[in-house]
Amino acid sequence: MEAPPVTVMPITSGTINMMEYLLQGSVLDAALESLLHRLRGLCDNMEPETFTDHELVYLLKGQQGNPFILRARRSLSHPTAPWHLRYLGQPEVGDKSRHALVRNCVDVAASHSLPDFLNEMGFRMDHEFVTSGHIFRKGAMKVVVCNVSRVLVPGNTENTERMSLSHLVELSVLAPAGQDTVSEDMRSFAEQLRPLIHLEKIDPMSHM
Amino acid sequence: MSGGPAVRISIESSCEKQVQEVDFHGTETYVPPLSMSQNLTKLAQRIDFSQGSDSEEDGADGEPRDREWGKQETEEEEGTVKFQPSLWPWDSVRNNLRSALTEMCVLHDVLSVVKEKKYMALDPVSQDPNTPQVFQLISKKKSLATAAQLLLKGAEKLSKSVAENQENRRQRDFNAELLRLRSQWKLRKVGDKILGDLSYRSAGSLFPHPGTFEVIKNTDIDLDKKIPEDYCPLDVQIPSDLEGSAYIKVSIQKQAPDIGDLGTVNLFRRPQKSKAGPPWHLKLEAAQNVLLCKEIFAQLSREAVQIKAQIPHIVVKNQIISQPFPGLQLSISLCHSAGERKSSRASPEKPKPDDHLYVLEHNLHQMMREFHKQQLSSVVMPHPASAPFGHKRLRLAGPMAYDKAEISSLQQGEGVLEKIIKQAKHIFLRSRTARTIDSLASRIEDPQIQAHWSNINDVYESSVKVLITSHGYEQICKSIQLQLNIGVEQIRVVHRDGRVVTLSHQEQELQDFLLSQMSQHQVHAVQQLAKVMGWHVLSFSNHVGLGPVESIGNASAITVASLNGEYAISVRNGPESGCKVLVQFPRSQIKELPKSDAVQDAKWSQLRGPHREVNWSKMEGRNFVYKMELLMAALTPCP
Repeated sequence: MEAPPVTVMPITSGTINMMEYLLQGSVLDAALESLLHRLRGLCDNMEPETFTDHELVYLLKGQQGNPFILRARRSLSHPTAPWHLRYLGQPEVGDKSRHALVRNCVDVAASHSLPDFLNEMGFRMDHEFVTSGHIFRKGAMKVVVCNVSRVLVPGNTENTERMSLSHLVELSVLAPAGQDTVSEDMRSFAEQLRPLIHLEKIDPMSHM
Repeated sequence: MSGGPAVRISIESSCEKQVQEVDFHGTETYVPPLSMSQNLTKLAQRIDFSQGSDSEEDGADGEPRDREWGKQETEEEEGTVKFQPSLWPWDSVRNNLRSALTEMCVLHDVLSVVKEKKYMALDPVSQDPNTPQVFQLISKKKSLATAAQLLLKGAEKLSKSVAENQENRRQRDFNAELLRLRSQWKLRKVGDKILGDLSYRSAGSLFPHPGTFEVIKNTDIDLDKKIPEDYCPLDVQIPSDLEGSAYIKVSIQKQAPDIGDLGTVNLFRRPQKSKAGPPWHLKLEAAQNVLLCKEIFAQLSREAVQIKAQIPHIVVKNQIISQPFPGLQLSISLCHSAGERKSSRASPEKPKPDDHLYVLEHNLHQMMREFHKQQLSSVVMPHPASAPFGHKRLRLAGPMAYDKAEISSLQQGEGVLEKIIKQAKHIFLRSRTARTIDSLASRIEDPQIQAHWSNINDVYESSVKVLITSHGYEQICKSIQLQLNIGVEQIRVVHRDGRVVTLSHQEQELQDFLLSQMSQHQVHAVQQLAKVMGWHVLSFSNHVGLGPVESIGNASAITVASLNGEYAISVRNGPESGCKVLVQFPRSQIKELPKSDAVQDAKWSQLRGPHREVNWSKMEGRNFVYKMELLMAALTPCP
């Protein structure tokens, strides 16, 4: 009995090669209301949704220097929803004129046994945090306004402590590789949010 | 007074009248008393007018004496002067008379003097009442004129301001117009240009056309000339491929004999409904309609190419052609007439508006809008928030390990093209069914066929109730009631007795079925009639196996016998062979009876004998059941 043939060629289509276009900014809690109002008016007309998520960041330390990072996220407001596992690649070093941060992104839905599975696979949890806030959408663009809280006792999501008195705002689009018009749309949308908030591309590497 | 009886005292007046003489008989003759006039005369004679003048003189003297002596004695003096005992009741009369005489004398003197015209003359007095009226009129006129002038001035001012307002409204401010535009359409400012969005993207459309229009200020007006009626300071510039008007034409025709014969561009202008509204609004609405029609057509053609149907759909230029039924062709075309000028290539054939199925065009628009709405609302926010957008249930496919069947059931159902083809099929089937029933109803008078169409229908299903009755006997013969459910490709017939028959879309099948039901109805009617008339049903069969074979359905037959058993009627009715009626008479009535040795007894003559056919066409009666009733009545002997 031979093993069935396995394609050796890398898969380049489907959901594997999706790029995430990202713009980030922050706003103080005092200005949060006005920002929410502005977003409510600009984005698609749906009921505003709030969310509370718990994210765990897993690291796989290999022999090489750079560890492999996977982010596992579950919803605390919808406990029955499946977990979400995400891999974010390195930001693409393209021309500087591109307005948004572009990086490879792989999203997978997983069942509730995900943390155990990752532990069995050899991943170790590096840190975890709880975010809660609002989520908006405009077409394919997603705007997330959330505050980040530190989990004091690992595994206990009740006991959290705000990390700062501001909210994190992220504008992201998931699109197949090669579509540059997306960043144009994102930039024009970000223009409309000025001067309440300045959304810009923040390279995580340059801050480390 | 002290006691004693009452004394009568009579009083008698003294004799007032003087006795003139006493007669011998003792009769006294009285002096008749003075009458009233005699009395007056006597009193009047006492008036001495000369003394009256004296009394006046006395009176005149009396007055200065009064003044001298003061008030104390005034009253006494006046009393003494005027009181003259002999003249007392007549004093005032005499005075008045004397003054009247004096007045009259004076008047007489004046008149006589005036009559002479020497010392006194009469002059008429000028008429004053006329002049006050004229003066009043003039003054009133003046005051009215002043008031009128004031009012006129005020009215002039008002009319001037109204005219100015009209001017202003026509010469509307660009900004005010822009505000109006913004209240209905989405605008945004890019640099120094004002752009707008007329696409359905915010409503959930995925069509890649940007649909941006530009707002420009209309400055080519000459302020000196009169501003035209339809002047608007604002103008919109729409993309060139959205100009004009468009609509989607859906029509069903007989199949074109050759593919190469397909007409290319169908361009005919639909009569424009005059709509009210600012010119930019109409322009933008028309452009939006063109965009929607393009999107619908793009979606349909995409599906036409992708979906594998048994007979492939053909997409040619601006037409999509498919075959719902053999021999039939459904064509969906996008008719876009660009610009206001008449198209130089006028279509050769006259436009046939009956051809256009407006219902399906409307349904196409509705389906596209529903698709948009679904795009918007079907996407629920992902929880957790970092998950990508998508169908909520599809996200469960991984963790729950769905298999292919489950996943495909989650995917989108049929597309717009399939839906519209199904709807077109249904419409066509329904109209053809109605035509079949109507042609039968008009062709055949006995029995009658009635169709009651239900008002509430689905896009894919309609129903009609068909009743087959005989005229005049509706209450008795109502055994054939069919409920037809017209679907997309089939017709389901539910009989009153519970049988369910499924007919295909062939027109002939339905016609044959109805004809066979009509023939069955006649025989059923005889059965019901027998119950009413009191005849016994000896045998009844819906599908007899004897006799000539019918090409449509089966023949049915019934035998009924009269109450006393003497007569029997046998009926055989077939859809094609028509009806055959035979009557059995009792043996005693048959003349040529074969003599036989076996049958000797007289009682055997009571039995029914051989059959004899009835010449049904010569029978009296409006329809079959009527004729049958007459026959039964004729065969029932009178008591």
